[in-house]
Amino acid sequence: MLLHADNVAYRYPQNQRGLPPVSLDIAPGDAWLVTGPSGCGKSTLARCLTGLIPHLYRGELTGAVWLDGLNTATAHLWELTERAGLVFQNPAAQMLASTVEDEIVFGLENLGLSRSDIAVRLELALAQFDLAGLRERSPLTLSGGEQQKVALAATMARQPALLVLDEPLSMLDSNASRDLVASLAACAGEGAALVICEHRCEQLQSLPGLRTFLLDGTADASIPDFAASRGAAQGDAAPFAPAPPFTLNVEHLGVTLDGREVLRDVSFTVPGGQILAIVGRNGVGKTTLLRALVGLQRHTGTVDVAGERPDLALTFQNPDVQLFNATVRDEILYKLPAPNMTYYAWLLRVLRLNIYETTPPLLLSEGEKKRVALATALMRAPRHGLLLDEPSLGQDAAHKARLMTLARALADTGRLVIMTTHDHTLAAQADRILLMDNGTFIADAPPAPLSPPSTVYRLPSTRSS
Amino acid sequence: MSRRQHRSAGLVIPALVANSPLRHADPRAKLFLSFLASLAVMLPLERLGIFMALYALLLLWARLLPSVLRQIWRLRVLLVVIFVVDWLFISADLAVIIVMRIVLLVSVFAFFVSTTAPIELRLALERLRVPYRYAFSLSLAFQSVGLLQQEWRAIYEAQVARGIRFVGDRRRALPQLRDFVALTVPAIVLTTRRAWGMTEAAYARGFDAPHRSAYHTLAMRRTDWALVLAALLVTGGLLLI
Repeated sequence: MLLHADNVAYRYPQNQRGLPPVSLDIAPGDAWLVTGPSGCGKSTLARCLTGLIPHLYRGELTGAVWLDGLNTATAHLWELTERAGLVFQNPAAQMLASTVEDEIVFGLENLGLSRSDIAVRLELALAQFDLAGLRERSPLTLSGGEQQKVALAATMARQPALLVLDEPLSMLDSNASRDLVASLAACAGEGAALVICEHRCEQLQSLPGLRTFLLDGTADASIPDFAASRGAAQGDAAPFAPAPPFTLNVEHLGVTLDGREVLRDVSFTVPGGQILAIVGRNGVGKTTLLRALVGLQRHTGTVDVAGERPDLALTFQNPDVQLFNATVRDEILYKLPAPNMTYYAWLLRVLRLNIYETTPPLLLSEGEKKRVALATALMRAPRHGLLLDEPSLGQDAAHKARLMTLARALADTGRLVIMTTHDHTLAAQADRILLMDNGTFIADAPPAPLSPPSTVYRLPSTRSS
Repeated sequence: MSRRQHRSAGLVIPALVANSPLRHADPRAKLFLSFLASLAVMLPLERLGIFMALYALLLLWARLLPSVLRQIWRLRVLLVVIFVVDWLFISADLAVIIVMRIVLLVSVFAFFVSTTAPIELRLALERLRVPYRYAFSLSLAFQSVGLLQQEWRAIYEAQVARGIRFVGDRRRALPQLRDFVALTVPAIVLTTRRAWGMTEAAYARGFDAPHRSAYHTLAMRRTDWALVLAALLVTGGLLLI
């Protein structure tokens, strides 16, 4: 047995959250999908399996984890990380080097490999994740999806016997996701064991022998059904005032960053009342487009509603950049002179934030923080609508359904909702999908019925040459 | 608010100047040159002037003058304030020499960071017998300065996007303070979280392993030795005249 977790449980010192008791046996070549609602402890389990807990954390650990015969509580951490690699949830936070190449090399040097072996593994990793063209770039200048690929390459190049991935697909486009799943299948075929903590379960189904572990102690539970969970959030009328009809006009929008043309001659119109999903592979400029629409990015061309700059709110991929108040209530009501408390109560209810009203936002899970950031944007009632940058990151199926309920309620009042996403189940519920490639739109179509990613994303080829 | 208004004052980590002939010089030689140039602040006014003229020629040859001048320009307000205060309260001579010393130190900083990648700093420190743990941490800190600038801008934009405006009534101190909190709390949280994330990421990839190998290596070439020798002669000469 490669890994044996015997009733392992953990509690963080700063709050009562953590991991409920878990027992798990993993053999070489096994592939496990760990799933469960947001905040159920998937990331904590990943840290327990790889030894980061208890070596780097001072909370309360009970039970034991044996990795390749080593007790994770007593073995050296480097002995454990040679056997188990962990790719974290937030790729930007794990970048250590000033170039993509050095990011991969760092972990290989720590294995004590010879220079020639490092060179071979480096080239393989760059090729496997399509990163050769980015090898001299700073990881900090890459898109979230590209950073995700770098993080995966840096860990997988070390060829650990156990590979633990915390939401590896969350920022990847469908092509990169498919490539990653193929790489993971190859790893499993060569005897590596996989533990994948992920909400986007449907894309992993092609992994041979995939077993599911629902994180409440029930092994082989069924995968959460997105369509079934939609109904849970419906039937709750939105107290939005209707907006007068308008159209957002974007003409010849262009953005150049560091000499690189990120957006070129982007033109489109969106009438109020529409949910628009912008999709495309990593690094094509989706976030830059949202920043330009909201006025945060210098650009050429025009963005207007009836000749004026539109009043749009934007929620960012990383909610930590927005949250600073002492409680969720203070955060959502910050600087609102006469807030509509009926609307506030409705937002808390729809976003399932009621029980956290007096909790400091920064103590919440990633998914919960994302919902608080969304509530802060909506509470100020932007006249023309809402822009959402990767809103499904860290959200389980039920919360994604609530998010779409909220987006639909906003659209039904005549406002527009524009979101960038790699999540095809989310994109499929929009009224219209715009496909981006090389800094411009290459397709504009209504979504196909809820279907595999290939039919949603692959209108024409999305692969750059 | 325009982008111009939220630009930070003070030093920034500039991009590497790829076409500089010193870009690929050995980082130990550049560290030594920077060390000697920093010592030159002790020179009296006339000799300091000569040293700075020679240093400017070196920067011009190395295609680094624009990058260095941009850094000095960012400190213009501070330099003017220091000059005026020293001139009014002490003497014009002191005002000039203090400003020249600051300009020299800023130039040294800009020279080094415009030509040296963080990993090169780490390698140089390792070869100078600094323990790997500290060399790695120093190079990571060096690299993260630019990151802090990016994050500050991201926080600012995120708060603007949620409707907070940072230009307010200057007579109302409390709201201004709360707006400042809106920037500083996320900045502290993000910095702490990033530092922790980097620690975890480093350990998860074997940072504490006892048997490291090195992919990149350093080698002093003739031009590096020539740079060291020239720096020694100029600084030593000016100190001993």
